[in-house]
Formats: sequence, structure tokens, C-alpha cells
Amino acid sequence: MNKRILIVDDSFYMRTMLKNMLTDAGYEVVGEAANGAQALEMAASTTPDLITLDVILPDNTGLDVLKSLRQTQPATKVVMCSAVGQEVIVTEAIENGALAYIVKPFSEEKVLEIVGSALQNDASEQPA
Amino acid sequence: MAEIELATPTPKAERAKPTEMVQLIVFRLGDEDYGIRIEQVKEVTVTPEVARMPKTPPFIKGIANLRGDIIAIIDLEERFRLRPAGRPLPERSYTVAVEAADYTLGLVVREVPRPFTLPLSQIEAAPEFVQDAGTRDKYLEGIAKLPEGGIIIVLDMRKLLTPSEIMRLPGRAASK
Amino acid sequence: MKTRDQEYRELFMAEALEYYDSMSRHLSELERNPNAGPALNELFRLMHNLKANARAMGFNDLGEVAHHLETLFGLIRDQERTFSGPLIKVVFTGVDALGNMIRAVGANQPLPDATALLDNLDRLVRGEAPILDEADAPETEEEANKKMELSDLVYIQVKKLDNLLNLVGELVIDRDRVMTLAQEIGNPALLATAQHLFRISDDLQYSVMDARLVGVGVLLNKFPRVVRDVASAEDKEVELTLSGQDVQIDRNILQIITDALLHLVRNAVSHGLETKDQRHKAGKSPIGHLTLSAMTERDDVLIQVRDDGRGIDTEAVRRKAVERGLTTANAAATLDEQAVWAFLFEPGFSMAQQVTDISGRGVGLDVVKLALDSLGGQLRVESQLGVGTTFTLVLPTSIAVKGALLVELDDRPYAVPLLHTDTVLALHPGQISIVGGVLVTHFQEQAVPLVPLRQLLHDEGDELLPLATKDDMTGAQQVLVVNYNNRRLGLLVDRFIRQQNIVIKPLSKPLDTIDLFGGVTLLGSGQVCLVLDVPALTRLFLAKRP
Repeated sequence: MNKRILIVDDSFYMRTMLKNMLTDAGYEVVGEAANGAQALEMAASTTPDLITLDVILPDNTGLDVLKSLRQTQPATKVVMCSAVGQEVIVTEAIENGALAYIVKPFSEEKVLEIVGSALQNDASEQPA
Repeated sequence: MAEIELATPTPKAERAKPTEMVQLIVFRLGDEDYGIRIEQVKEVTVTPEVARMPKTPPFIKGIANLRGDIIAIIDLEERFRLRPAGRPLPERSYTVAVEAADYTLGLVVREVPRPFTLPLSQIEAAPEFVQDAGTRDKYLEGIAKLPEGGIIIVLDMRKLLTPSEIMRLPGRAASK
Repeated sequence: MKTRDQEYRELFMAEALEYYDSMSRHLSELERNPNAGPALNELFRLMHNLKANARAMGFNDLGEVAHHLETLFGLIRDQERTFSGPLIKVVFTGVDALGNMIRAVGANQPLPDATALLDNLDRLVRGEAPILDEADAPETEEEANKKMELSDLVYIQVKKLDNLLNLVGELVIDRDRVMTLAQEIGNPALLATAQHLFRISDDLQYSVMDARLVGVGVLLNKFPRVVRDVASAEDKEVELTLSGQDVQIDRNILQIITDALLHLVRNAVSHGLETKDQRHKAGKSPIGHLTLSAMTERDDVLIQVRDDGRGIDTEAVRRKAVERGLTTANAAATLDEQAVWAFLFEPGFSMAQQVTDISGRGVGLDVVKLALDSLGGQLRVESQLGVGTTFTLVLPTSIAVKGALLVELDDRPYAVPLLHTDTVLALHPGQISIVGGVLVTHFQEQAVPLVPLRQLLHDEGDELLPLATKDDMTGAQQVLVVNYNNRRLGLLVDRFIRQQNIVIKPLSKPLDTIDLFGGVTLLGSGQVCLVLDVPALTRLFLAKRP
């Protein structure tokens, strides 16, 4: 079965690029969220295998979303997305259970590599 | 004369209230008066041109263009066997467009339908007829006895309007 | 023609302009209240997004300005700088510069130089005073106006476009009606207005149809992964070639054929193409070739799935059709290749020797046929044993309008979609013979069965059609030759009315169960006209012929 991915990013452009890359590669993009509240709601309703999570979101920081997710859905894998300049947050995200981070602007190869290896990382299924 | 504007449907209230009034659209079928609750009626209009549709039972007079909607036009007199089947429509007839959940159906009648208001308490539940006494009994909400004499048979369109009830086809043609 | 790069570019532009507008709004808020936290957060976020998007598009100078401003807003947010004094001026200049750069991107022009601005932003970040040049900051009216620009791209739900298309369909019907009435009444002013209405609604219809078009690539680009998966499950090597991704087609048509195309592609890889061993033995390269291409042909769009595999084994299909009782052994023996291949698209007909996961557990190609039928499309098959097979889907560009031939029967008009009509013939009774109770004529060296349309329309019950006679035939017989799944059938009608473009409305309940009619259309006269469904008529004839 295809792995199911939820994309969280406040930029439509970024979401579209990510979605195209992921669906072309055969993943099923189960939803796109543009802010933290939506992200949590959709994560609960779609129970994706993996979430790509932008660190800077309008209503909430990506970090808060990550922390809630670790509480409510510890099995869901999270990969952070961020443009350069926000390394501090990214480091904190990794400490909070994100599996990897993708630096924007990203190449298709890089995205697929990171998402692919994050999905294979089953050791992370213990609650953080 | 071409059209009778209808009031917006009244919201449903509790049935138990004795003073609750019911608005019906009343029309004549055979020698009897029939009524439909106004909230089930979309509009009343002079019957537009009806195109006979092959592969349908005779009581379906055909299809007509009602403001861009293509609807089936049905003759209840024939459906209820109050008249022999297959009669042509008169020069001028009226169509009561009734609404189902997701489609509209036209009931063709020969005299101008009229609105009629009466207390809900005047509608008595339909008596227990023998099951196969006539197809119409299944679609009755009840019978209204009028103080000045006469009765109105109140139809429940929601029961009449299921596609299988309307078509009652003797089995699909073996075209597949 | 929209490629993916172009799509990204449009998305980028739309969002960048939106960001720019929001930035301007939040800046005015900051001017009123320099400590407005939400506005600062938003400016920070918008700069961050614009930076990331601009860099992804390769607009590095734009990304650089946004990056500097992001850093500066980060500092203001963390109260290391205040939104006051010369900083305000530099920030406004910066946002204006972003606007100019975004517009330059939109106009395909080189981005304006921002060195001086970047230097000043650097100074502010370092905590130094900016160097302001009064001379180059004159706010002209023109520049002020530029700030008012809105994105020239909107996103719209397909549902809204569907609704728009339906309304246009109704408008066109009424327009034809008005035109007919105007001609009858003969008032020159009315006629001129009606003609103008005609032209405008034509343009409107074209524009709405155009707005719904997408590149076929949207669908084709999903196939490399599918092919890779199926090929690896079957241990085959397949090279996939895509072409014609830019061919434009109605978005809903693409949606409807998605499953059909998926089915054909999976079928081609798992059954069409041979294993490496088999290819080797046949003297072919071990790598199978699969081509998915789209092209336009007159008003239609063709989507082709071509493989260089084993080809269709016509005799095996013929045997299977007899086994399955789709035809008799005698009849099967007389069928030509095309007629035999047509069996492949019968429900449940599968040539899969072994049912694999990939090829859909024995489900036949009938899903392809059903999808095409619902669109009024056609399927063409070409195949050569040992060389390969090509399936061609012939699709309308748009669902809205179809060419149709109007015929008359018992004083009523019926419309037959042109996609399913081959030709019209006027035959003398002498040109018609009776074979096994069926009327037959010869046309293009092919025996074509004929049937009175009246008989098909009024057929009731389960009995077969009556044996044909020529007794009541006098004079020329009007025959419309229709074609479905490579089967020809001649329909006897009273007369041909004309050819015209029609807008098909689906039949609503309860009449939608009658499959002989694909829908209805309203003629210019306001008359309701049933649209005949050729596939259903053909199936009915095949089931009921004596």
C-alpha cells in the first residue's frame, strides 16, 4: 500500500511543489494543511504515515504542532521543512522527535531521499 | 393564469398541536379531490410541450422542459387506474411540479389546481384498506373531511416519488 | 499550453503578489502601532515564505532582499531593534523593492538592482545607521498606483466551473430559441440583436470551455511511477516514453478516463509486454517499450497507449469468446480482427492466463469501454502479433458541446452524437437483403445489419425482434450507419433533419434508468429532443436480433 503523507505548509506554492514531487513518486498525499490548527485536525482525521511540517506557520509555530503530535500521534513520522535561517528551531524540532529536516529550497531527489528514509525508520515508533 | 405563485413552504411544526394549519394544493383526479402538502410542491404551471418517451409505461406522458429542467410528466389518473390508460392530453392541462429529494416530477391534471388551508386535525389517517385494493392507498397521508361536506384525499408524495414506484417497470429490457 | 514549470511560476507569482499586499497592510499597521506583535510575526512569516519560494524558483536577488528583511523583522520582534526612525524608511523602500522585483518576474524582465538597499539592510542588522539618499526616493503618482495591483491569477473549484458550464449550456439553448423566434418574427432590429447575442454567447461558451482545459501531462506525469511498480512486480524492464503532455483537455474528461488509462497501462505492462526471456527468444531487446502520448485530431484529443509486446492473439480471443458464449463458433469464424478484438472490452472478459495482483484480478477491459461510452468517446485498437499493440482513446476536448445528427422518427426528433455515426445512406429496397431474419446491406465491402429504429425504441419484454420483411418497404430507405466498438449497425429512420451542435443534459430520475437515451437536448424551437445512446442501441440489437 502506498504511504500516506500530510503536507503542512502555509505557502500554496510550496505545498503544490511538495505534493507533485510526492505523488509523482507514488506516495498518497492525504491532505494539505496551511496552519497549525488545520494540521492537527487533519493529522487526527487522516492518520498519515508521515507529515512534512513547515516550521513557521501563521497561527502557531511548527514546533508547537510537533509537540502536540508527539503527544497525540506518536507513531506518525514528522519531517520538518524550513528555509535556511531557522536552524535553531530545526534543532529543537529534532530534539522533540522530528525525524529529519528538509531545507528549502529543496530538490526533488533530496525530498524523496529524506521522506523515504524517514518512512523506513521504524525504530522511531516508540513514543518520544 | 399561466402560473400560480406559491408561498414559501411553511416550516414543519409539531404535529400534536391541534390548531396547526396545513396548506394543500388541491386538484381533481377522476371524480375525486386530491391534495398535496404545499411544501412538497415546487410550482403549478400550464403543462409545457410533452415529448413522449419510448420505453416508459403509458401513465408517463413523456418529458417536458420546465425552466431548463427536463422532468417526467405523469398522469396519476392512469397511475391510479381512475381512467383507462393511454389517453392523449387535452389541449390545455396543468402540471403540478412536485419535489423529491433530488429530482422534480410533474403531475398532469385537467383542471386548475387550487390552494386550500385546513386544520391538520381534519386530516384523518388513511383507513386500513385491503393491501391490493388500489395502488393509491399506499401513498395516502390521510383523508380530510370538509365541514361543508366532501373529502380531499391527501397524498404523501415522498412515498410516491421513489423511482421504482414511479416506473414499476415489468423488469428491465434485456439490453445488457 | 501549460507545463509544470509554468504552473509553478504562476503559483509563485500569485502567492508573491498576495504576500506583497499583506506586507503593505501589516506595515501600515506597524506605522500606527510600532509594537503590534501579530503584524510583526506576519511580516516575519511572509518574508520567510517569499524567501523560500523565490529561492526555489531561482530568483536569488528577490530571495536575498526577503532574507534581509526577514532577519530585520526577527530582530524587531525580539525587541533588539525598534520600528522607528530611518529604519521605517528603509523597510518601506525594501517592501517597494520586493514589489518591483515581483512585478519584474511577472513581466519576464530582469530584476532591478538592490545592492544599495541590501547594504542599508545589512547596516541596520549590524546596528548601524543606514545611508539615505534623498534624491532617489521621489514618490511619483505612478509608483503609488503600482501598490494597488492584485494577483492576476485566481484559483477556482471545479464545481464552480461545472456550474458555469451548465449555465452557459442553458444560455446557448435559449439563444438558439431566441434566434429562431427572431427569424420567424422578422423584425430587423430584433434579428440584429439576436445575432449579436449569438456571437457573444458563442464567445462566452468558448471562454468557459477554455477555462476548464488542463494539460494532459497532469495525468500522464503520474505514470512513470505506476509503470516502474508494475514492471518490477512482474520482473520486467520497461522504458516509458511520454509525449504530448501539453495537449489541452477538459479537466473532468481527464478525471473520468484516469482509471481507464491506468487499466490500459497496467494491462500493457503485465500482459502486453513479454518477460525478458520471451523477448530474448523473440529476438527483441530485453527492455520493453511503452509509449503514452496525447495529440489532437480535429476537435478530438487522442490518447495512445502503445507497447512493443506480443500483440493480441486474435485466434485465442476468438476461442475464448466462443467458450464464454459471447458468440457461436460459426459466427466467430466469420468475424474479422476488429470484431474479434471488440470482445476484449466485454464485461468480465479477460485474457489473463494467471491472475496477477497488478492486472486487476481478472477484471476485463470493459472499464475502459464504460468510461469512453460515458464521454461519447471511441476506442481504436491496432495490433500485430509479435510486434505490439496500440490502444487509442478518442476523446472530446470538452464535454459541453457535441456534434450530433438530428433524425426524425414518428414526427419526433432524435439526436445521435456524431462520434458514433459513420455515414448516412439512402437505400433502395433492392440494395437490402434478408439474412437469417435480419435486414442486411453491403457497404464498403462489409455486411452491415439494418434495423428500424422504431423497433428498437418500442421493443418490450424479452422476446426477440420480429423476423425482418421487406414487404412494407417502398422507395428509398433512410439509413444512419452508427458504429460502436467497431460494430456497424444501420438504423432505419423517417428522415434526416440536420447536423447541429447540441448541449446534452442528463436525464433526471426516474427516467435515467432507461439506457437507450444518453440524455436530452433542447432544440432552438424549445422542443425536447432525446439523445440516442448508440452503445446501448447496439447492445440491444445484438441481444434481440432474431
